[in-house]
Amino acid sequence: MNKIKTKDTIVNVFVGLSSIITIVALAIIFGYVFTQGKDLISFDLITKDYHARNYVAVIENDTNQTFEMPSFDDEQVYVSSRYGIALIQSQDLAGDSVIKVAYIDENSPFTTMINQDPSKAQISLEEDAVVSRITYVNHPSSLTNKGAQMMINDLNDPEREIFEVMFATTGGGIRGSIITTLYLILLTLAVALPIGVLSAIYFNEFAKKTKLTKVLRNFVETLTGVPSIIYGLLGISVFVPLTMRFTPASGSNLIAGALTLGVILLPTIIRTTEESLKTVSDDHRFASLALGANKTQTTFKVVLPQALPGILTATFLGIGRIIGESAALIFVLGAAIKDQVRILEPSTSLAVHIWSMMTDEPANIALSSSIALIILLIVLVLNIIIKLIASMWLKKGQV
Amino acid sequence: MKSLTRNKEIKGPKLGPFSASKTKRVQSPLSKSDSVVKVILSLFGFISASFIVFILFFITTRGILPFITNNNGLGSVNFFSFISGTVWLNGPTFVSTAYSAGFLIINTLYIAFLSLLLSFPIGVLTALFIAKIAPKHVANFLRTVIELLASIPSIVYGLVGVGLFLPAIYSFARSLGYSSGGGSGTLATVIVLALMSIPTITSISEVSIRSVDESLEHASLALGATPTQTRFKISLLAAKSGIFSGAILAIGRSLGEATAVSLVAGNAKSGPTFGLFDITSTLTSTMLEGLKETTGIDYDIRFSVGIILMVVILLTNFLLNQLKNRIGHQYE
Repeated sequence: MNKIKTKDTIVNVFVGLSSIITIVALAIIFGYVFTQGKDLISFDLITKDYHARNYVAVIENDTNQTFEMPSFDDEQVYVSSRYGIALIQSQDLAGDSVIKVAYIDENSPFTTMINQDPSKAQISLEEDAVVSRITYVNHPSSLTNKGAQMMINDLNDPEREIFEVMFATTGGGIRGSIITTLYLILLTLAVALPIGVLSAIYFNEFAKKTKLTKVLRNFVETLTGVPSIIYGLLGISVFVPLTMRFTPASGSNLIAGALTLGVILLPTIIRTTEESLKTVSDDHRFASLALGANKTQTTFKVVLPQALPGILTATFLGIGRIIGESAALIFVLGAAIKDQVRILEPSTSLAVHIWSMMTDEPANIALSSSIALIILLIVLVLNIIIKLIASMWLKKGQV
Repeated sequence: MKSLTRNKEIKGPKLGPFSASKTKRVQSPLSKSDSVVKVILSLFGFISASFIVFILFFITTRGILPFITNNNGLGSVNFFSFISGTVWLNGPTFVSTAYSAGFLIINTLYIAFLSLLLSFPIGVLTALFIAKIAPKHVANFLRTVIELLASIPSIVYGLVGVGLFLPAIYSFARSLGYSSGGGSGTLATVIVLALMSIPTITSISEVSIRSVDESLEHASLALGATPTQTRFKISLLAAKSGIFSGAILAIGRSLGEATAVSLVAGNAKSGPTFGLFDITSTLTSTMLEGLKETTGIDYDIRFSVGIILMVVILLTNFLLNQLKNRIGHQYE
């Protein structure tokens, strides 16, 4: 008897251990993404461009006033009170040494410069921008490799007059990928929802239980087991050429991406919608028919509205899938991160943005984690919404 | 148990060959507009069902091109060396056609099998805990954990794999005296895939464990078996068929997973790799490699690998389903 007891205990320990492992796995994933990604989460992240942009500008009004500068604790920060600017010796994401703007006074001459591109627009140096070169009239330029201290010394030299400033915005924002993801969600749902819901209505309300219907259903079900990378192949061999023929697009484009995602979503939408159509009581169908409505009216005015929670659930499940999908989109859209998103051109969704940065050398884990954190939060919210719909639906069913 | 469920099925109206239309849920003569609507709707049904045919057709026609054409004078790819070779590309890019995916097939199956070895016990035991042991609120909490794990996109698993597992595996391998390629390789891939499979196995196993007839368990307890013995020898065995289905789904997912694998596998160009700390590559990770070529054999060969991937998945599914049918029905 004792032997059995010890055996039982050991076995139960393993059962408990397994459950703990799953909890720990989830905690590790969320914990890692949160700790790595939280620092970069800011409003700037979602509004800024990803790629750094280079500018050459001239100073418009070179004043000789003296600015009052705050004091800095960091030894790497050098201050020019003549121009109201503080520079810091820093590193970019690739680990190269760069000079960044640590502080800039709002009346500094650097805030009212003229861009030297054809637009001649007024442009301002901003904090965190990388200053790569300042050239002077009749004096040697100050460059990145001479360091921030040297650059500030040159600036403070009263003999020198600034000719041109070369600087770059920092980039590292994900605005473009967010816009692409939103486009993809809208376009995909616009394609997949009508096809999926109408197919579900056909299968559940109109189709006779013939062999052919069964085969069609099985075909739809088989799509569930197809790996997403295979959908990517479908996208480049069918949807990309198709969109190139009927639109001015010259290569991969968001519409082809959305069509591919649409096929991926179809089985989920059809199944979820059908399940909710099945829960609609037959009494309602009979009642409607008995009142003289024809089948079409019954289906669309009586049955379909009651299946709305299911369609909503399918929509949110679909949004989750679109946000998380990477393999198929890498094939159809490529992995080049864009700041200017156009529907007929390739760009990256948030998930592909991560993949693109992770396959770069060196991998940008900090920014990837920030995007992953955003994705996880969205997925979490979607899960909660789906649960809310389900519980509201159940309550309604009980009444 | 079987006879019980059978009785339930018979309760409905008995179907005769001529009464098929009477058993339709809502029977009414279709008006003219209804018929039009039905035709339109059936069109959508056909469109939805046609995509699997499209996928098979286009990938096959594209994928056999490297074997049947001479690839712009480069010569055709030999099919048998393609499915049996041990080096991805034997020769320089763009001019060589000596592609081989044989080692990729072995790597892919090996990795999927190892990850199932890891995820299966954890997944099933967690399911048993949720279904039979845990108090209600703990079970609900665990279900939420499983749902969340299932909804995490694969790219995030890949990211955590690169950021967390690779350094850990690297230092672990070094402490054992192995030098690993930054930690990437079989072990990292197996762990990432196992984590991704656990929710699939758990959620399906849990449902089938819960649907085991309680009278079986009561009989076992009445015969003097301990609750633990009953859980393992009755509940788990009776749910065998469902648990097996979960494992089949999980292995299908492991075989087809691409982005997470490509980040942690190390993308070896030859193989097969059996060492846990050695870099490896799978069918999917190879398909994601070097996407820059857009024409010619270097592009079409991806479709060939795609065909192989689908054949591997279908064959594995088929064989495992056969196995399931052979051992699956015990208490039913």
